[in-house]
Amino acid sequence: MSISAEYALEHKNDPAVLCCRAEAGVVLSEHNLEDPAIFDDLVESGLLKLDGAVTIGQAMGATLTKTADSLTPLTPDLLEGMKDVEEEAPAAEEAAPAAAAPAAAAPAAVNGGVLKIHIDEGKGIDLELPIGAFAAAGTAGAVVPAAVAGAAAPAEEAEEKVIRTLTRKHFKITEVKRGPETKIEGTTLYIREGIEKECIDSQELVHDLKIDIITPAEYHTYSETIMDVQPIATKEGDAVLGAGVTRVLDGVVMMLTGTDDNGVQIGEFGSSEGILDENIMWGRPGCPDKGEIFIKTQITIKEKTNMTRPGPLAAHHATDIITQEIRVALKDLDESLVVSTETFEQKRHPHKKKVVIVKEIMGQGAMHDNLLLPMEPVGMLGGKPNVDLGNVPVVCNPLEILDGAVHALTCIGPASKEMSRHYWREPLVLECLSDPEIDLCGVVLVGSPQINGEKFYVSRRVGQTVESMDVDGAFVTTEGFGNNHVDFASHLEQIGMRGVPVVGMSFCAVQGALVVGNKYMTSMVDNNKSEAGIENEVLGCNTLCQEDAIRALAMLKAQMAGEAVKAPEKKWNPNVKATNIELIETATGKKIDLVPNEQSLPMSQKRKEKYN
Amino acid sequence: MRKIKLLLKQHVGAPCAAIVKPGDKVEKGTLIATPTGLGANIFSSVYGTVEEVNDQAIVILPDDEQPDRYIPIKKSDNKLDMVKEAGIVGMGGAGFPTGVKLAADLEGGYILVNAAECEPGLRHNIMQLEQQAEKTVRGVEYCMEMSNAKKAIFAIKRKNARAISAIKKAIANKPDISIHLLPDIYPMGEERAVVRECLGILLGPTQLPSAAHANVVNCETVLRVAEAIEDQKPCICKNISVVGKVHGGPEAQVFMDMPVGISVEDMLEKVGGIDGEYGEIIMGGAFTGLPTTLEAPTTKTTGAIMVTVPFLDLHGAKVGLLVCACGGGEARMRDIAKKYNAEVVSVTFCKQAIEVKPGAPRKCENPGNCPGQIAKVLEMKRAGAEYLIIGNCSDCSNTVVTCGTLKMGLKIIHQTDHVMRTIHHPLYRHLTVSKTVDQDLSEF
Repeated sequence: MSISAEYALEHKNDPAVLCCRAEAGVVLSEHNLEDPAIFDDLVESGLLKLDGAVTIGQAMGATLTKTADSLTPLTPDLLEGMKDVEEEAPAAEEAAPAAAAPAAAAPAAVNGGVLKIHIDEGKGIDLELPIGAFAAAGTAGAVVPAAVAGAAAPAEEAEEKVIRTLTRKHFKITEVKRGPETKIEGTTLYIREGIEKECIDSQELVHDLKIDIITPAEYHTYSETIMDVQPIATKEGDAVLGAGVTRVLDGVVMMLTGTDDNGVQIGEFGSSEGILDENIMWGRPGCPDKGEIFIKTQITIKEKTNMTRPGPLAAHHATDIITQEIRVALKDLDESLVVSTETFEQKRHPHKKKVVIVKEIMGQGAMHDNLLLPMEPVGMLGGKPNVDLGNVPVVCNPLEILDGAVHALTCIGPASKEMSRHYWREPLVLECLSDPEIDLCGVVLVGSPQINGEKFYVSRRVGQTVESMDVDGAFVTTEGFGNNHVDFASHLEQIGMRGVPVVGMSFCAVQGALVVGNKYMTSMVDNNKSEAGIENEVLGCNTLCQEDAIRALAMLKAQMAGEAVKAPEKKWNPNVKATNIELIETATGKKIDLVPNEQSLPMSQKRKEKYN
Repeated sequence: MRKIKLLLKQHVGAPCAAIVKPGDKVEKGTLIATPTGLGANIFSSVYGTVEEVNDQAIVILPDDEQPDRYIPIKKSDNKLDMVKEAGIVGMGGAGFPTGVKLAADLEGGYILVNAAECEPGLRHNIMQLEQQAEKTVRGVEYCMEMSNAKKAIFAIKRKNARAISAIKKAIANKPDISIHLLPDIYPMGEERAVVRECLGILLGPTQLPSAAHANVVNCETVLRVAEAIEDQKPCICKNISVVGKVHGGPEAQVFMDMPVGISVEDMLEKVGGIDGEYGEIIMGGAFTGLPTTLEAPTTKTTGAIMVTVPFLDLHGAKVGLLVCACGGGEARMRDIAKKYNAEVVSVTFCKQAIEVKPGAPRKCENPGNCPGQIAKVLEMKRAGAEYLIIGNCSDCSNTVVTCGTLKMGLKIIHQTDHVMRTIHHPLYRHLTVSKTVDQDLSEF
């Protein structure tokens, strides 16, 4: 479609192609020219050949000598009075040792829902961004590692300052049994027989609850859809979340599963029911690790409450009765049983680039809810549902996040949703926390409301919150895809329009291609791991992992150093991520281990059908 | 002639209120309904008896004898009062009360006579100019006087040589009235296209021609103005083209001075009825008309009744709709898709088709000049469309056809195809004529 004058100026070095029929004698203007953003698709499908085409800058103001139709590339023989556009001065070349990329991209603008990238001279920078409604696919991003590695040390190396410390004491569990009372003896955890009845009786909507102890020998058994995976942990003494000591059981996790009375899975876009070891992506931050024992509750809730708020919440409440009894037992456990201790320090690095992480969490209601800041790690008591908080931004410190500040009900759309355990081992928080080159000031949790008006209400609050923090850079992460991308995009815009470099992280790939876009969405990291770029219903497969955190951090550093990011390919292409990883490895000299995807699992019937 | 049904709303504005009751005897020119807000008087167009009065219409049973004479409107020195009294509305289709339109002071500007007869297949406007050029020109002069316009321009397509030469003769000694020739492409008769072509001013979608010190008046409306002032004749007649799959067709058969409110069926009877199987009956033109029924009444704005050949059966094929301000709205496009037995998988809107008011027809930002369509085409292809049904103007249709649609394996149907097939008019595909027209009148 024809373009605006401003847009034509931004794209003066792109090829000039007629957008519609123009008659001989016409003095060409932006009204006659097609938008270069769609050329890749057209060239690829053989509809357009750009050989010999002059640039938009040359064509503007020239007179067409022959009547020509739409999609005619403007070549010198069709033009009279063509302008000579002065050569762009070559950019300073010496800086980047990274693999030479042909061009760097700069500010992008949105025109009619399509993300446009302005290409200028530059070097060594990759950018991938999902295009809005128009694109077939979203894509993943890349960086200029050179800027990262070679960043000049500040003249005065300011003292780092420890704000708070969190200690995790690990207790090992090797066996889970049923017994007359809930207790821990050595490395054996006993769960009180008959506790199920109390769980069921505690919740009107819970009609049944079964406990299965799943050891590795039982991994190959059927399970209803997995609603959450939770660490079993408790605070010592009067310590609050994010500080003091937290006791945690190793080798065992809580796992919620369930259906309603009619056997309908408590899941929305796909669900993960099936054979456990075919449907769990082992070792993802939110998932069980291979070898762990699952205390699996199978909950049956009242019919048709699976898509309402009270239904899934009741299932969580019922399960927490069991977890809470274990927590009480854990509190009394002898110190001698501690197998390892882990300390997290929240340090501030004055004079380093100040960074904030904005995590978009689900807040549409039903199972799309999170209890924020409960008394116990991933507990229920004291936690406030973000839906009830109006989904407005809640600022946490990074250690609170790692200490179970989010009890997540967002367990469906299984491949891309972040379960409670995800926050307990949140890779981006961990990566930023341990990086002395940046100054992580906090983590903002913001809910994703159901209604568009509310989405923009909360995104404006995010913008204001970030503005008042005076940060140099920001991350915005989200889970899931589709509806929540509306506010995800708006968060990026609200932050970007305040002049703060911002990197977005989401599952996009093929199935989760962004439905909206704006000009601040230039630096994007795709969390996809699946082979086909889809929601493959394998638990945790496409969630944010360390490799994504590394890429995003490198990208933000590049942006904060004033580097631009290269334009994306039109279609999702997994090689982009591979190239970026390689660039970062080369620049930092560190090997980045990539996590496996669903191809490492035995093929389930469901997946077989999906992939064929 | 069966019953005459005069709709209480056949104009822009509020419905009129009936001032007759069942059983009343009426004559041609009996005032039967008056405006309740913006509107225009409605007169009986026949001799007869009021049979029914309801919220929508007044139904009159005509007498067997229908003399030509009518009850004249009140004579006045104020011409504008006579136009208002006569109940004239814009007869090109818009139906804006002419008395209100001409009351605007154009400060020495222009009356632009819309003689584009833009909808393909219609003939009544051009025939009127061929036969009644002088009276039409006098109507133009009255309009100039009422609106304080110094100049007037006839906007007419170059292909209508006889009409042009008739106008040329009628304005021979009138230096303030001129002719502007238009290319034979759609939509040259769009109000703002007429302003742009004649005056070189592109108005915004929400602007009225008065912003360019101009009034665009349909050529039949101009004639009715002359009739009101010279003959004290109320607005009771309409010129109508009957076109298509009818006996004596498919070329337009023109019926001058038909009584307003005559039914579609009666009009079709005048040509001997529908000829065999047909697709749909359209009231109005192929682009902007809407499907109608045999019972439906004509109004002061009815220009044509078109009967089309049957629709092709697409057997449930997936279609994308490209909705434009030039053709039907989304509802009409969906109606056409349904008649083709197609499944709509995507609806797109031309970039220039602006929704100025929710629910109102879209308006084009630059009528007849394409803004590029390939992005829309790609969008529909992605949605799985095998066919595109487009309602675009000549220029945009050309873009859709030439931008690789065929290479993409997409088949194109224009909204007007079934009508064009009926009247043996070229389908709207490639644009082969220039938008620039030689303005030399010496050959006429």
